[in-house]
Amino acid sequence: MRLRGLLWFNAVFSIMPVALWASAVVEGRVELPKSHTAPVQAKRYEIVTKGGVLSTQPPLAVVYLDGAFPKLASLPTKQVAQKDLTFVPALLPVPVGTKVEFPNLDETYHNIFSYSPAKRFDLGRYRPEERPIPTQVFDKLGLVTLRCDIHEHMRGLILVLNTPYFVMTDTDGHFRLSGLPAGRYTLKAWIDSRTTREKPVELKNDQTLHIDFP
Amino acid sequence: MKLRVLSLCAFACTACAFDIDDFFDRLDTALTISAFHDNLRARLSGTLDLEIYHFEQPAPGLIDSSIDTLFNPRLTLFLDAQVGSHIYFFSQSRLDRGFDPSDNGAQIRLDEYALRVTPWDDGRLTLQIGKFATVVGNWIPRHLSWENPFINAPLVYENLTSIRDKSAPFSLFDFVYGFYYYQKYAFNPVIWGPSYASGISVSGRLDRFDYAVEMKNASLSSRPESWNVTENGFEHPTFSGRLGFRPNEAWNLGFSASEGPYFRREAETTLPPGRDIGDYREFVLGQDAGFAWRHVQVWVEFYEARFEVPRVGNADTFAYYVEAKYKFTPQFFGAIRWNQQLFGDVSNPDSGSVRWSDDLARIDLAAGYRFTSHTQLKLQYSYQHETTGQGRDNHLVAAQLTTRF
Repeated sequence: MRLRGLLWFNAVFSIMPVALWASAVVEGRVELPKSHTAPVQAKRYEIVTKGGVLSTQPPLAVVYLDGAFPKLASLPTKQVAQKDLTFVPALLPVPVGTKVEFPNLDETYHNIFSYSPAKRFDLGRYRPEERPIPTQVFDKLGLVTLRCDIHEHMRGLILVLNTPYFVMTDTDGHFRLSGLPAGRYTLKAWIDSRTTREKPVELKNDQTLHIDFP
Repeated sequence: MKLRVLSLCAFACTACAFDIDDFFDRLDTALTISAFHDNLRARLSGTLDLEIYHFEQPAPGLIDSSIDTLFNPRLTLFLDAQVGSHIYFFSQSRLDRGFDPSDNGAQIRLDEYALRVTPWDDGRLTLQIGKFATVVGNWIPRHLSWENPFINAPLVYENLTSIRDKSAPFSLFDFVYGFYYYQKYAFNPVIWGPSYASGISVSGRLDRFDYAVEMKNASLSSRPESWNVTENGFEHPTFSGRLGFRPNEAWNLGFSASEGPYFRREAETTLPPGRDIGDYREFVLGQDAGFAWRHVQVWVEFYEARFEVPRVGNADTFAYYVEAKYKFTPQFFGAIRWNQQLFGDVSNPDSGSVRWSDDLARIDLAAGYRFTSHTQLKLQYSYQHETTGQGRDNHLVAAQLTTRF
């Protein structure tokens, strides 16, 4: 009976989110770069083209707590869709080991690929209704640039992190990262492929820190 | 030790490739401009191709070179601009040794420019005016170096026949046997490459069907100089069209047709008395199919063409190719293409019936490797054999390094 209780305790403990007993909060603002220009779609040899302007994707940053954290027992599957000839979301932060699905929500073919050292793959061409949805497991840290072999202008990013504590800023750069464990860490703000800012932080339970990345 | 050095080199190359990709992405952003709250956007992009060909004389296809090993660099610049959601403009200019590979000196050209208006968002109607690739067939969307799995074009787009557009043959004998008495560049293929002639097109999509019709200033077989509106007006236009059917995204089927006079103005004095350029036309019927799924792509085109030839009659030819590409890994692909062109007989009371050109078969094999999403190396080997006549062979080996920005 005692053994069964211990097993239950272990099982519940292992799947319980770390955030339940971690309670520090960091909030602040990241200075984001100027908004990008919407991409121009090359339609030179498509004899049939649809109208429409591709949407501007505002710059966003990913703020994360860097440190040696235990791996999560299970990671939810994430999605990067292809919709209206863009990647949605354009930037996806995931913990290492996450499986990402790439559903095609357009009426046309896409051919998603990446030559990034963190993940090299090519999904080939697949129909929107095709099942199972093509997936990839991102098991190496780093930045993965997603592209489409058919639509040159399409570009998306997956940031593979070794921490479960991360959040995306809003379009003004504001962020709030909650449920953090107490201790000394480095707080990082990933802004683009060449810019990651960082600040050392000391977190205490039930404390809210305010940190800006100018 | 060697393994470690190799590993280090591989790591350095990978890291370098990632940096190059990052650099080109930044360059792309720098070469994209916008104004009026993103309603006017323009992007400058391009490719730098370094090609080397080694072949036997006479040079195969549209290669015009008296030397057996030809280095052919080419810089291509594209401008794509969008005004709102309904107006699109593009242009292509090139700095190279000629529209087709040649041993000529450097030249700069504006090969394409077009203004496109799409009044409705659903794509039911698109109007385009300018100098742009033909709507016929399914090779055009992959004819540029980055998209084309091969370095050259399918046989029907580059095999020079006995047809010549600058002068009419004096006799059937001159037509059939005169090929080697003239400079190679005096002759024409059934379709000259992407046929960037000037004109206007109307295209659109209705459910699973798509259509495109165009009126151009030059026939499909016409040479690049004839495509300029300054060189060749619309007195003798060519009409072409394609009806496409897509049962689903994997399949793309199409039927094409084209007809128009193929002689250039300077040929007028060589025509029989009382005849003019408009009396001698090129008719082309085409059927194409494309299939794509995951890492495999297959294309097929069939063309039946007829040239009305002065003092000879109708000269018919049939050409087709089957092309397949497969990506073995994310960066490495292979491609194979089988091409054939068969010629009909022409006859007159004096000479009897004779085949008007030698039948040809050609196999193309290519392999390509994309070092980054901006750099690609292709290698190609082609073996061409005349299946009638003297049965001459030709071997072509080519390499092409492309940098896209």
